[in-house]
Amino acid sequence: MLLGIGMFLFWYLLYPHALSYQEQYQLFLWTGDYFVERIGLPGGFADWLGECFVQFYYIEWLGALLLSSLYVALQRLAARLLPESWWWLSIVPVAFLWWLMGDVNVLLSLLVAIVLALTIACARLSKPLTWVDVIIVPIGYWLIGPVMWLYVMIRACQIGWGHLWSAGWLLAVQLMAYAWLLPQWPLQQVMTGLNYYRIPLHYPQLSGYDKETYELIRMDYLVRNERWDEIVKRAGNYQVRTAFWCNCVNLALSQKRLLADRMFDFYQSGSDALIMPRTRDLTSMLPSAEAFWHLGMVNSALRYMFDTQESILNGRKSGRCTKRIAECMIINGHYQTASKHLDLLKKTLFYRSWAKEMEAMMKDETQINKHSVYGCLRQFRYKENFLYNYEEIDKMMGLLFMNNTGNKMALDYFLAQMLLKGDIRNFQQYLGLAQQYGGYRQMPLGYQDVMRCIQMQGRVSDSPYAKYVQRMTERSSQP
Amino acid sequence: MRRYLYIVINVWLLLACSSEPDNVVKVDQLPEIYPDYIGVTIPADIAPLNFNYVDEEIDRMDVIVRGSNGGEMHVNARWADFDIADWQALIRQNQGGKITFTVCVKKGGRWTQYKDFEIYVSKNCMNEWGLTYRRIKPGYEVGGDIGIYQRDLSTFDEYAILTETVVPGRCFNCHTANRTNPNRITLQMRGEGGGTMILQDGKQTWIETKTDSTKAAGSYSYWHPQGDYVAMAVNSVHQSFFTGRGQRIEVYHKFSNVEVLDTRTNELILSPLLQTEGLEIFPAFSHDGKWLYYSTSKPCRVPAEYEKVKCSICRISFDAEKGTFGEMVDTLLNGPSADKSYVLVRPSYDGRWLMYCVSSRGNFPVSQNDADLWLMDLRTGKSRELKEVNTPQTESFHNWSDNSHWFVFASKREDGMYTKLYLASIDENGRASKPFLLPQRNPRKYYREMMDAYNCPDFTKTKVELDAHKTYRQVFDNKREKVKIR
Repeated sequence: MLLGIGMFLFWYLLYPHALSYQEQYQLFLWTGDYFVERIGLPGGFADWLGECFVQFYYIEWLGALLLSSLYVALQRLAARLLPESWWWLSIVPVAFLWWLMGDVNVLLSLLVAIVLALTIACARLSKPLTWVDVIIVPIGYWLIGPVMWLYVMIRACQIGWGHLWSAGWLLAVQLMAYAWLLPQWPLQQVMTGLNYYRIPLHYPQLSGYDKETYELIRMDYLVRNERWDEIVKRAGNYQVRTAFWCNCVNLALSQKRLLADRMFDFYQSGSDALIMPRTRDLTSMLPSAEAFWHLGMVNSALRYMFDTQESILNGRKSGRCTKRIAECMIINGHYQTASKHLDLLKKTLFYRSWAKEMEAMMKDETQINKHSVYGCLRQFRYKENFLYNYEEIDKMMGLLFMNNTGNKMALDYFLAQMLLKGDIRNFQQYLGLAQQYGGYRQMPLGYQDVMRCIQMQGRVSDSPYAKYVQRMTERSSQP
Repeated sequence: MRRYLYIVINVWLLLACSSEPDNVVKVDQLPEIYPDYIGVTIPADIAPLNFNYVDEEIDRMDVIVRGSNGGEMHVNARWADFDIADWQALIRQNQGGKITFTVCVKKGGRWTQYKDFEIYVSKNCMNEWGLTYRRIKPGYEVGGDIGIYQRDLSTFDEYAILTETVVPGRCFNCHTANRTNPNRITLQMRGEGGGTMILQDGKQTWIETKTDSTKAAGSYSYWHPQGDYVAMAVNSVHQSFFTGRGQRIEVYHKFSNVEVLDTRTNELILSPLLQTEGLEIFPAFSHDGKWLYYSTSKPCRVPAEYEKVKCSICRISFDAEKGTFGEMVDTLLNGPSADKSYVLVRPSYDGRWLMYCVSSRGNFPVSQNDADLWLMDLRTGKSRELKEVNTPQTESFHNWSDNSHWFVFASKREDGMYTKLYLASIDENGRASKPFLLPQRNPRKYYREMMDAYNCPDFTKTKVELDAHKTYRQVFDNKREKVKIR
């Protein structure tokens, strides 16, 4: 009971972002085809069940409840398998797995597979019935994967070492599956599991809950949920000196119209602090994609989301990315391709109603134009067609602003990007736009600081911008 | 008692599910079916052309198929799902003739009978086992779950040749067979552990085609018909992205040359005429192997000058005995003078036709929205647009069947993004038949749920036998024989 409550509070109060992170890299479909596709591989049932649980992470308290229940089940099963006086040892697998799952790429299917293996092992076999393992081992392997070795070991302990023939049998089953049923999978993965870890041919690291990693995950979680005030507040207390962190903080500042005032109060990584260049992994581009979205650079948001989704190395879809991809397509009027993505979402539990709503909206162009977000982003989009160039992202933001002078975020990002690049001459040239279109009652404090810095040629002791420039100069002079 | 109840329920379900048309209202319009198979020409060795009704709210469909040379089939289901054996028998019986479809649709309890439509069965079979193709997410710079697959064209069965699970994170493509013969295949893999795989008569070897004298590894390959040489483009491919709502991506090459690999000695054969400052790309040997066709464009400062990339189609003679090129280049079609780009030459294997892509610019047609297929009669040198198969969207990645009566191509006609495969035939006068979408068991469900785009389709005479386990070991062993310059 205490363990369950502890686990629930841990996930729900301290690490809801970890749940969100897991949920956003899968898209569980309630279809027979999806189930058949999953159980077509060894460990597929555990994988399917794990994904089924993870989809409920969408509702944080429910996700935390399910996850803590799984840990409780693990402890209860372990206690049942241990001699009564050793019951306290049942905490060990719980603690080990809890620590192991600090590695964000460990999938819930591993925990599910272990729970299932222990469940089967709890059905004690009397010696005359041990032959049933001839059937249980291959079926178990197909359902839960190589975690079946745990079952084999437990049986050997229960029945005696004479039962170790089942280990040979399991090994033979795995080799037969590799040779005849899994022509497109390497032996290494067939032996160690196809679906316990998100990155193929890699294995969990006992890194636990690394503070910086989880802070970045939390920032992205807050961006996803548009909790801008919390981002700014957290940024004031703890900084992770990466471009990813800067992207999140700057986006939050821009949404609160604080970017011009406070940007250099926080760590800035350089010219990638607003938008990161394309990076081939499943996380780095997310805050930039969100920034593109809010700016009205819809094609770039679509591209970053698409590439993020395709960077999920276990080939899963992402509910979050698919949703945003569909939205970008709707804004661009590409309804046929949008409906392809909406069709996927309609087969899920938590994105279904939204997808249906969007599907209905696509039938009425005026409704999209009137939509508070989509209509606005349609107005913000580029009117000219040209090639995106990350090296000239400041100019692209300037053009975006000139397209629609109501796009104040584009104005803020345009000026901020020039400051990050140290392009003072152009900053001074375009500063008048902030006065004319920025909607500021007075010149923002950040810009005042920059002007002061320019006038004093950087010799301002308490200037945040001067410190930034100094740091960048030092960095560029390093070999 | 329970047993009888069970039988009664089953009989009732059977009757309820197979309602035959009654009180049919006839209308003078063609049925709206997906895919649009009305009036297409098919080979007598193709899988059933199953179709759905466009209106998804229908209760049932009743389809009667009659052959002009006899034979009949009847389907009564949610969609026209024909039995493979019955279909094969019917179309073989009607080879050179036509089959007529009578479609009745039940909606809201009422049956409607539409005007009959016909499908023509060509007198020419494909004589191919199936197709090979790559499936890739139609994304941007990350390919995702890439796979090379093969599809039995007489059934709906698809088999993986090589998927991302074998070589995670690697980009692979340019799988090329020699004149649809899977005993000769090349395949390129980029990035870490990359290289060129050559599969010859079951022997699978990996080589490194980048040398000190060539700028990159070879790609965009094409086999010499004798099976000893492979022509390759040596290039560096890049992408840029548009801000507008039309074309999404501009693919361009910063350099590109053409070379030929002698697979017997692993030597590269170079010619200064194919190693110019211009961009030579997409080589293809003529049917007799005496000519090497390719496209070429002047060097441009890409991506800034992406609109200036205009390719011409050229050819240079090749002596397979000596392994040497000629000393003169013929220009067959001049891109800059026509303000067009002519790319991706594919000569038919009977030596009669040259099929290629025409677009307003660029040397990677699948990314160009206006790319269309054109056909040159090599006997007269005259070209014409294949209007019968083109649409305002992209048509590209075409390849011929071994008998040159059929061709396969990829088109984005349905939604402008997800390329799908179409097949069509060519008659003696170079007229193409209306193309038909690659058949699937339940086409609407299949294509709606398919999140991949098809590219690089080609016919295959027999099933490709590639040992993916061995490929994994070879890729990760990273042992590559380096080629030499001859």
